[in-house]
Amino acid sequence: MNKLRYLIAFITAKLSVIALRLTGHPGTNLPGQLALRICPDFLGRIPKPARIIAVTGTNGKTTLTNLLCDLLEQTGEKVVSNRYGSNLASGIVTALLSGCPLPGRQSATVGVIEIDERSAPRVFPRMTPQLLVITNLFRDSIMRNAHPAYIADLLSRYIPASVKLIVNADDLISCRVAPQCEREYFGIGPMPGDVIECVNLINDMRICPVCHGTLRYDYRRYHHIGRAVCTSCGFSSPDCDYAGSEVDFDKMTMRISDKGGSAVYTLLNDSVFNCYNLLCAVAVMRSLGFDHGQISELASRCSIVATRHESIKAGDITLVMQMAKEKNALACSRAFDYVAGREGEKEIVLMMNCLGDVKHWSENVSWLYDCDFEFLARPDIRCIVATGARALDYRLRLLLAGVEEEKIICVEDEMEAVSRLPFVKGDQVYLFYGTDSLVFAQKVRSRIEELAREAAEK
Amino acid sequence: MKVEILFPEVANLYGDLMNPEYLRRSCPDIELIGTSLRDRPLFADEEPSLIYMGSVTEEGITLAVEALTPYRERLAELIDSGRLFLITGNALDIFGEDISADSGWTQQCLGLFPTHAKYKMMDRYNALYVGSFGDMDIVGFKSLFGHSFGSVEPLFRTLRGDGLNENEKGEGIRKNRFMATYVTGPLLILNPPFTKWLLAEMGAADCTLAFEDAAMELYRQRVSQFKDPSTGIVYH
Ligand SMILES: [Zn+2]
Repeated sequence: MNKLRYLIAFITAKLSVIALRLTGHPGTNLPGQLALRICPDFLGRIPKPARIIAVTGTNGKTTLTNLLCDLLEQTGEKVVSNRYGSNLASGIVTALLSGCPLPGRQSATVGVIEIDERSAPRVFPRMTPQLLVITNLFRDSIMRNAHPAYIADLLSRYIPASVKLIVNADDLISCRVAPQCEREYFGIGPMPGDVIECVNLINDMRICPVCHGTLRYDYRRYHHIGRAVCTSCGFSSPDCDYAGSEVDFDKMTMRISDKGGSAVYTLLNDSVFNCYNLLCAVAVMRSLGFDHGQISELASRCSIVATRHESIKAGDITLVMQMAKEKNALACSRAFDYVAGREGEKEIVLMMNCLGDVKHWSENVSWLYDCDFEFLARPDIRCIVATGARALDYRLRLLLAGVEEEKIICVEDEMEAVSRLPFVKGDQVYLFYGTDSLVFAQKVRSRIEELAREAAEK
Repeated sequence: MKVEILFPEVANLYGDLMNPEYLRRSCPDIELIGTSLRDRPLFADEEPSLIYMGSVTEEGITLAVEALTPYRERLAELIDSGRLFLITGNALDIFGEDISADSGWTQQCLGLFPTHAKYKMMDRYNALYVGSFGDMDIVGFKSLFGHSFGSVEPLFRTLRGDGLNENEKGEGIRKNRFMATYVTGPLLILNPPFTKWLLAEMGAADCTLAFEDAAMELYRQRVSQFKDPSTGIVYH
């Protein structure tokens, strides 16, 4: 009976793949959704590639998944991945289905599967990866994810003991997850710009995980990322099996070393997050048995998609589209920090309002008070436009962050708000938008480009 | 004036630490004193103008209960003698009898109030809140793993949304000047009239709130939006 149910689910899902392709809607998770509706145990039953590398964590999942797919495909492996789909069970099933010509056969040799960190209870009993990378755990949406210790606990309870973990030694929250599992650590040694005391509002690892005494950081990159020692019991961050060092943003290089040797790798871009993504990908490839020479050659042919950060010349200004996930204090803090560090005069537009919440209720704004708006209180930021349904919330938060009142332009309507930008020659205009305003952000972008060209003509 | 912040190393979720910070920004005479889990609390030897604790991790609840248990009688005495407390978010549960979660986790708490908290660890409760405190409107948010049950005098009267639990219109706990509420936001930033009342209770009646005009404009907008019946209350 269960087998029959699986077969029906398989055939239905495969037919839906064909139907979606014919109607011009490929790439959705509908096949997986259908399969799971008919056969709730579908993920457990579908044949899987001989090796599965899973990726979870708060930040970097998609970038790392893409990178691993690109690296492995170049080695001739047949890869299935949910890199373009959802990281929930339905997206994973859709990906695995794509490698199955028949209900009992999987043609892919490797699966690179991104897993939403909150889906652990649904995924892990049914799919056991050989390797699981946990990129990091940070505060995310408070509504879904509460706080990172909650997610760490969830992962610890559901990751099977046979899974080998690759974890971030610089993140004491995620690197101690699932003590039942064997693990290797990656981390990056001291970098220029590291601090000792936390300058961020979010700092989720302040006490020793063993004795709850005070942690002292030898160096700290941001938030709780860095290397710490307990002042009471001597507990310290673990040593790295894969260590990044000599990070050089001028030459765009980083050395990666392990017990088998080391090599200098070309960075993907100039963000610290992407140094970790590259390091993590190299750790996985090394763990799979590739040597540094091979990996650095493969990696030199990879690039990352610049969806989160795109520059456009318009009139006399440069418009930068800066994605910053709405209701995510950490993502916005990282983006603010990054932008604050750019040279030159800046005009800023904040429109990370959650459009979904505007329709049905009202956005929970408590994340604004976990987020480092203080990074925006700088002399080289000429003005900040607070717009959208939560414009007044942004204004109050900016005032509390120390931004001068005369720099704040508060207009609820986005199209009207951007018309108040001064468009001073040579300025960079940063448009901060969220993941649920992708389409709308493009409209605002066009309006800004138009206004900037008009301003230049005057 | 001293404001004691209990255990900021674990009780720092959902922007709640901005509550005492907003008091300090509004009244320069206020000194914020953070008490760590291993410190002897300030309230053990003194009577701070306000004792504050905010939203906390589940492990933090256990650690806070451990840290406060030796001072349980002192806390009861301070509550009975009318000292000022403000407890926000799930920190409320620490002052009740116990917590039990569907994951199997249970926690005996301080037992200062006859409430029992029940958590559903995979079913988070997210909602807006509108209520009243005297003639003031109170607005904010709730983002919790559960609710608590038991008969207590509430802090706020609920207009839209749920109180201590889904069948209860009274929100929070009040006894003399001990005040605990599940409402976050942060509460004091979202509710300037309540914040002014609190400062007056602390003896700082003549303070102007930091950016009071901007805070009031936002407060009025939120009150009218949350009272509007077309605004959804519990998030699904
Ligand atoms: Zn320790």
